[in-house]
Amino acid sequence: MPRSSIPQFEDKRRRLLEDCFRREAGSAVPIPGDDVDLVEAGILDSMGWVSFLRAVETANGAPDLASDLNERSASFAALLKALRDSKSTPAALRPPVSPRGLDYSSATAILAASSSAVGSRVIPSEEVDRAFGMPVGKLRKRAGIESLAYVAEDENELTLAAKAAQEALRGASCGPQHLDWIVATSETHHNYPSLSAQLHSRLLVRENCVALDTGGACLGLLNALAVAQSMIGSGQAKTVAVVTADVHSRTLTPGRVAGEFGGLFGDGASAFILRSTAHKDSKNSYRLGEFLFGCAGQYAAAIQVSDTKDGTLEVQFDGETLSRAAITRMEKVLASVELRSGIPRGSVGGFATHQPNPRLVALIAKQCGVSPSTFPPIARVSGNLGSSTCGAALHEALRIAEKQPRDDRRPIFLASLGPGLLFGGGWLTPHENGK
Amino acid sequence: MSRLLITEITRMGPAFCVIGLQREKDRIQSIRPIPSCGHGWLRFPHRRCDILDCALTPFPAPCPHVEDRVATSGFQKSTTIPETEVVTYLRKAEVSRSLPDLFGCRVYENKTGSGLFAIPGEAKRSICGCETQNLRLELCANELRATLALPSGEVLRDLPVVDHDWRGFVDAALAPSRGANQVARLERFLNSHFHYKIMSCPHHFVRLGLTRPYHDYCWLMLDTLFPLPRPEWLGEF
Repeated sequence: MPRSSIPQFEDKRRRLLEDCFRREAGSAVPIPGDDVDLVEAGILDSMGWVSFLRAVETANGAPDLASDLNERSASFAALLKALRDSKSTPAALRPPVSPRGLDYSSATAILAASSSAVGSRVIPSEEVDRAFGMPVGKLRKRAGIESLAYVAEDENELTLAAKAAQEALRGASCGPQHLDWIVATSETHHNYPSLSAQLHSRLLVRENCVALDTGGACLGLLNALAVAQSMIGSGQAKTVAVVTADVHSRTLTPGRVAGEFGGLFGDGASAFILRSTAHKDSKNSYRLGEFLFGCAGQYAAAIQVSDTKDGTLEVQFDGETLSRAAITRMEKVLASVELRSGIPRGSVGGFATHQPNPRLVALIAKQCGVSPSTFPPIARVSGNLGSSTCGAALHEALRIAEKQPRDDRRPIFLASLGPGLLFGGGWLTPHENGK
Repeated sequence: MSRLLITEITRMGPAFCVIGLQREKDRIQSIRPIPSCGHGWLRFPHRRCDILDCALTPFPAPCPHVEDRVATSGFQKSTTIPETEVVTYLRKAEVSRSLPDLFGCRVYENKTGSGLFAIPGEAKRSICGCETQNLRLELCANELRATLALPSGEVLRDLPVVDHDWRGFVDAALAPSRGANQVARLERFLNSHFHYKIMSCPHHFVRLGLTRPYHDYCWLMLDTLFPLPRPEWLGEF
C-alpha cells in the first residue's frame, strides 16, 4: 500500500468503530476519547463491550479480534491497535480504487451474464389454497403470493437449470467448452448423478470441466458464488457457471406437508457466468465483492425437514418464529454487508435476497429503511423458489441495471438464509473495464 | 423457617446473587433469597451444596424474577451434600430442552451485536436448567463467555458466565503469580482438557438465568456450570 494512503486507511478503521459503537450505545452517546476505558467509565457494561466487539468482528471479517483484546483495556485505542494488527483487511477498510468510489473490492471475479427460468405452469394462489385444503385467499392475504410457478410434466430441475445456463452462456458470449467449473445447487434434487453432473452432460462441456454441488438450501446460491469466486481468485478457473434449480411442487405436495408451508413454494432456476476480471469482454458486468456467512443456531428448531422410514416427509415448521428470525437476521446481514463494503444501503440499486414470502420482503424493506421496490418481486408471482429465489432476484436486479446508463448503475446487495439458521450476504459493484 | 439447598452463587459486579432449591410437597423449585434492600449480597459466607435454614418472606417481585424471596433472618448451615446429588435435585427442578421453554417466552437476538434477551413482561421465570449437547467456554476481551447447544439443537452464543466458582477459577488461572502467557495457557485449557472434563462428566448440567431488566431487556447468562472447577486443574496448564 502506498504510504500516503495510511491516514485514509486509519480514518476508515475509526469510522467502522464509530458506526459499530453507535449501533451498540445509541446515537445520542458521544464518541469517547481513544483512551477511555468504556467499561470502567460506565459507557458500556461488559456485555455491551463484548456485543460491540462482535459487531466490529463481523464488519471487519476478523473472527478473533476479541481474543486479541484479552489483557487490554476496553478502549478505542486498544481496538484500533487490534484492528491494525489484524491479518484481514476488509473491503470497507481498503482505499477505494474507483474515482466514483464504488469499486471497493479487490476480488477478481466478475459476473458476466445471468438468466433465470421458472416452471411453465402459472397457477393462481387460490388454486393452491384449494389443493392444500386451506381457505381460499389465504396465500394471497397472509403471504402476499398472487401466483405460483409449477413445472409441467416434461420439466424438472435439470431442464430448468439447463435452460437458464444456456441462456446465461449466450448472454456472456461464452461457449460451453470455455467453462472450467460448474457449481450447482438445489434443495430439491437429491438424485444421482447429481445436478452438476447431469448439467455437465446436458451442456456438453469439456470432460475436464469440474462439476461440483453445494448445499445450503435457500442459501445455496451464495455458497456457490463464494466457491466460484474462490476458484477464480486462486487461479483454478477462468470461467465458472453457477446454477441453481429447485422443483418443490413434486416434493411439498398436498397430503405430504401442510399448505401453510408447502403452498409457499414454486419451481425455478437461475444461472450466472463468472469470469476473471482479466477477461477482455466484461463491459456490462458486475464485480463480486466479499461474502460473509454464518449460522444462527438459536433458530435451528424453527424449520427442519427430514425423510421418514415410510417415505413421508417430516416437517417441523414454526412459521411465526421463522418469520421473526428471518426479519431480524436479514436486517443484521444487510447491516453487516453495509458496514463491511462501506456502501450505504441508501445507494444500493437492488437487494437480491431470499424471499420466504412477499409479506416478509415488505417487512424486511421496512426494517432496513429502504424502498420495497428495490427488492425484485419474485415470490409474489412465482412463489418461494428455494435456492433459486435469490438467483432470480439477482438476475432481475442485473436486468434492471442493464437498462440504465453505465454511470448510473448502482451496487447490488445479496442476502439469504437457509435452515439452521444459515445466513450469508455479499455485494456486487458495477465493473469498470480495465480497472 | 425454610430449608434451601444452595445451587448457584453468581457474581456480577461487586454483588453475589444466590439461588437455592426448596422442596414444596412433591415439587422442587428455585428460590432466590435476597437481602431486604437490593437484589444481591455483598457478603455471602456460604458455599454451593450447603443446605441452609433461613426465614424467607414472599416478595411481590416483578416478572420474570418470580423466585425472589426476602431473607428476614440469618442463614444457618445444617449440612453439605455432594455436587452429584445437587445435580440430581436440579434435574428435578425447572428444566427445559428447547429455547422457548427455558423461560416460557420468546428469546430474541441482539440486533446490533451479540447476546440473547427476553422481554421482562413475557418471561415467566428467570432461572432454568438444561442438559447440553455441547458447550464451549472462551475468554473474549477478558470476559468469560459460553456457547452451548441445547438438546433441541438450538445454539446459544456469547452468554456471559457469571458462575462464581468458574469466574474464580479464571481469576486464579490469570493470576500474575502463575508466570507468563497465562491467557494463552488458559485458552489452551478451555479448548482441550476442559471440554473432555466437562462433557464426559455424568453430572454435567447447566443453569441459565435472566439478568434484571436492563434498558427494558433481560439478558441470558450462564448462571451455573456443573461440574464445578477443581483447584487441581490449575496445575495442568
